[in-house]
Amino acid sequence: MEQFSEGVSLQTISEKILSNRSGVDAESGEIVAVPVDLVFAHDGTLPLAIQQLGDHKVKQPKKVVAFCDHASPSPSEKVSNVQAFMRQFARRYGMDFYENGDGICHQIVLEKYASPYQIIVGGDSHTCTHGALGAFATGMGSTDVAAVMAHGKTWLKVPETVRVEVSGELPQHVHSKDIFLELVSRITADGATYKALEFCGETVEAMSVESRATLSNMAIEAGAKVGLCAADEKVKAFLARYGRSKDFKPLYPDEDAVYAQQVHINADTVVPLIAKPHRVDNVVPVTELEGKELDQVCIGSCTNGRIEDLRDAARILKGHRSKARLVVYPASRGVLLEALKEGIVEIFLKAGASIGPPGCGFCIGRTVALGDDEVALSTQNRNFKGRMGNDKSFIYLSSPSTAAASAVEGRITDPRNRDG
Amino acid sequence: MNIKGEVVRVFPSDTNTDEIISGKYKYDELDLNKLAKHTFESIDSHFYEDCQSLKNLILVAAANFGCGSSREQAPQVLKACGISCIIAESFARIFYRNCFNIGLPLIECPDISKEVAPGEDLEVNFDVGVIRVEDRQIELRFKPIPTFMQELLEKGGLMPYLDACGGYTD
Repeated sequence: MEQFSEGVSLQTISEKILSNRSGVDAESGEIVAVPVDLVFAHDGTLPLAIQQLGDHKVKQPKKVVAFCDHASPSPSEKVSNVQAFMRQFARRYGMDFYENGDGICHQIVLEKYASPYQIIVGGDSHTCTHGALGAFATGMGSTDVAAVMAHGKTWLKVPETVRVEVSGELPQHVHSKDIFLELVSRITADGATYKALEFCGETVEAMSVESRATLSNMAIEAGAKVGLCAADEKVKAFLARYGRSKDFKPLYPDEDAVYAQQVHINADTVVPLIAKPHRVDNVVPVTELEGKELDQVCIGSCTNGRIEDLRDAARILKGHRSKARLVVYPASRGVLLEALKEGIVEIFLKAGASIGPPGCGFCIGRTVALGDDEVALSTQNRNFKGRMGNDKSFIYLSSPSTAAASAVEGRITDPRNRDG
Repeated sequence: MNIKGEVVRVFPSDTNTDEIISGKYKYDELDLNKLAKHTFESIDSHFYEDCQSLKNLILVAAANFGCGSSREQAPQVLKACGISCIIAESFARIFYRNCFNIGLPLIECPDISKEVAPGEDLEVNFDVGVIRVEDRQIELRFKPIPTFMQELLEKGGLMPYLDACGGYTD
């Protein structure tokens, strides 16, 4: 990388955060030790982290947050016992603990904890979501979570960055989910392995933090370590909305930062897209699948369970009755309350939806599972075989608009052909 | 470090952690030896059984092995099945880190999924970066594991490693 006489390089967002927090000039390829501002895990990963922690003490319990969101509310005795084990641990240390029904860890971290320049380690692969607020947030396993709880730090290899520039205006009923599906169809499911994705360009600048969070959330689906966006006025306004104005710091990449790869997407030409079973990069335009019969349509998840996603779906569902089973899981209690105030819950109920408690719900198939040979269209991020609790079922992925239009017809439908 | 063992399986590209251990079991069970009975259940129902009858097992895969969910239960159940080393063309990032953290060695070797077959005996020399296919007298080369990762393996994983060096040095 090019160096200036002061020894300061032209830096990507990753390099800026990791330099700032490690105290050394962090260039891609180097390994740095950094203090961790927030470490969190859930009912699928925290119990194992507690086991790995063994006799070690939690160093800074105020920086640790625990969530019951995955198998939530607990569907069995066994799960209840595992959740009780983590609940006791959280109480013993007085750490923040979110119960069944409070929401998905990533949505709550966005609303209450994440901010620019932070280092966040989450015991969940979709921790990259918080790159939407300019945090270096990455998913790790339970032992890494345990090590952070014990030592307050972690080691990170400074990643190379793939710069994804999106320009132009998104057509009606085309959303950030479609942008990501377009990206992953081009670079494939391991196209960014070990790298950072940096989302920029006028289309991203015009997007809400919620839409950006969909891009950042799915970074791992291309193998990326983080999915970063600049911390700009939109981030400032988002933090202000949640009473956290003081957490804001602007963060942009340097103009001449060095990138491993550049990808350009013209939003004007992106169409509603769908990922077919059983791979996220198995992407086709919705028009190619129109008419395919659906058993279940799922709206929610850490990818697309935020208020604007529910609004997109409600606009299309209003006044209609879903012809497929319709399952809606708002991403957090806050999102559900907003949806209630805006009349969205009523629209969903009148459309025949079953509304679940805020949480992961259908996405991991532990509390809502598909039957043999059933076909689902979901707004989640993964369509691996067996992901929704049955390895004999088929999962298609789309935006909330496409999901809602398809629910109305009971088969895959282009949202551009619907009102709303 | 040297590992000798038999190739138990060769898995295709993009084998994910949901396939290694399904989400439908991991919320129920804290005992990894019990959880291990469901390893690869949806794509290879005899995997666990076959592992019981063999010793010193080596798992081989094509590219992007262990992609998807961060669940550490995936490498943990493979270890509990008796896997002593995984050789793939490439690994997903979180899985890679998880394996070293629990003291399970991984090797990245180009074209390995085409070079070896189940049932073949391999000898892996970590120091020089060579895999010997015993019966065919072939040698395959790989880039040796970074020193830091070798130290993690020697200490048995991340927690014992950090204990040994007294945490992170400032």
